[in-house]
Amino acid sequence: MLSFIIHRLLLAIPTILAITALLFFSVTTLLGSPATMMLGENATPEGIADLNARYGFDRPAHVQYVDWLMRALHGDFGRSFATQQAVARAVLPAIPVTLELALWSILIAGTLAVVLNSVPIGRRAIVPAITGLNILGITVPNFMLGISLIFLFAVTLGWLPSTGWVPWSEGAAAHMKHLIMPVATLSAYYFGAFSMVFRAEQRDVYLKLYIQVARSKGLSEWKVAFKHAMPNAVLPVVTFMGLAMGQLMGGAVVTETVFSMPGVGRLFVASIAAHDFPVMLAISMMVVVAVVVMNILTDFVYTLINPQIRLE
Amino acid sequence: MLKNWRFLAGAAIVITLIAVAAAASILAPYEPNKSSILLLQAPSARHWLGTDELGRDILSRLIYGARTSLVIGIGAALVALLIGAPIGLCAGYFRGRVDLLIVPVIDLFVALPALILALIITVMVGPSYKNLILVLGFVMWPTMARLVRGQALAVREATFIEAAVAAGGTSAWIIRRHVWPNIMRIVAAQFAIAVSLATITAASLSFLGLGIPPPTADWGGMVRSGFEFLALNPAMSLAPGAATAITVMGFYLGGSAVE
Repeated sequence: MLSFIIHRLLLAIPTILAITALLFFSVTTLLGSPATMMLGENATPEGIADLNARYGFDRPAHVQYVDWLMRALHGDFGRSFATQQAVARAVLPAIPVTLELALWSILIAGTLAVVLNSVPIGRRAIVPAITGLNILGITVPNFMLGISLIFLFAVTLGWLPSTGWVPWSEGAAAHMKHLIMPVATLSAYYFGAFSMVFRAEQRDVYLKLYIQVARSKGLSEWKVAFKHAMPNAVLPVVTFMGLAMGQLMGGAVVTETVFSMPGVGRLFVASIAAHDFPVMLAISMMVVVAVVVMNILTDFVYTLINPQIRLE
Repeated sequence: MLKNWRFLAGAAIVITLIAVAAAASILAPYEPNKSSILLLQAPSARHWLGTDELGRDILSRLIYGARTSLVIGIGAALVALLIGAPIGLCAGYFRGRVDLLIVPVIDLFVALPALILALIITVMVGPSYKNLILVLGFVMWPTMARLVRGQALAVREATFIEAAVAAGGTSAWIIRRHVWPNIMRIVAAQFAIAVSLATITAASLSFLGLGIPPPTADWGGMVRSGFEFLALNPAMSLAPGAATAITVMGFYLGGSAVE
């Protein structure tokens, strides 16, 4: 098992290197000289040359890339062009915000998708209702859902704060109140996606012989649904949850922007708008690593859920 | 299996949209980019949805926005199809080394978050009508390639392919005459779904400030500027948001009707 994980991690390294290199070279060639960007419109040729020499922007791109990579491996992602702050100091505080938003959303969406689709009574009413929710969740853009929620619950009813973020230290109640709408917004899409994946698998599982056996030995439909069908149909949802978690490490870009949450996504959008290349690159790298690592972890979780699967 | 209600609902929405986009100049009561001194008017008999921060009629911009949305959505899906279909066909039909080379690339691209990828590339090439179509198409081609590959892989096993090979058909001819026609239905469905994905991603880019540059009427951008005035005139952001949702739903329903 351990050797499998190590093997997969080693295989992931070339992938991560290739992507960051590609990103590094395209950004440096396409976005123009960082010195001009940092100095703005009043840049003098001397000033640019001075900055280039100081930061080493005048060296060949591949030398700069290796240099960046070596520093990155030591946790030094350089300084933000926009704020001159160390990149790590800007990115690190944003991670818990995004992580919490993503965890709540994915867990709630996953649990609801699996449980609601498994309930064996009242299927005639539940199934079309969930189909409708799936379609809405997948097709309504996050910004539309988020703004509608703000309009309804903050502007019109005044029940919830419209935007912002309150850390745990300032009270759990205030913290959760600020989280309700962002989590609802983000989980809507994932509920639809997880639910469709689960249904497709569930349909196949219900045709299996062991379900017939379970029924014919007199088990209640609840037991059949939750003890026999659900564990066998949940695997693709787990994969998807893992993938989603990895992808969300780049931030729930739209949701965080709508609700002004100080997460990775909003930082990313800000860095894009400011052409702040070190921050952009650090976050992109984080996404790539997270996606690759989550894929490996998901394979690992597979073996825990279904002992029939062995990793080699 | 054709899930009829989905197809009918989807088709109705898409046809209506195309009609609105085509007849925009007749339907719109005002010029979409003409500003006036009547800034931020609430909805009234003269301006059904009110006016925006530059005094432009929101309903007119909403109607013209259908053009922007359709051109980008369909354009990007076409680009994804033109890149993804040949690659998927080759990987699925030839298998072996070609497949081994292509599949990891596809898998990796599919796993990366599309919106973040689109944001990075858009900021590098600069947002414009043409670039947005190309960027979104580029971000979406792997999904298309993966589907086409899977289908081609399945069709390839059929006896009629074996017969065509035995009859001495060239690979190109077999792919064109035997593989492609058999998977076209599914590819068409995936195309509709790709349009819905492109529409939602393009609108999200605009909402984040990296979409079609002003003054072009564009729903994502309208939501972005309207959001600031949510308490003043909710229609300013909710109307273009709803238009986006309906468009996405139309293409999605049409595409998901075919299984």
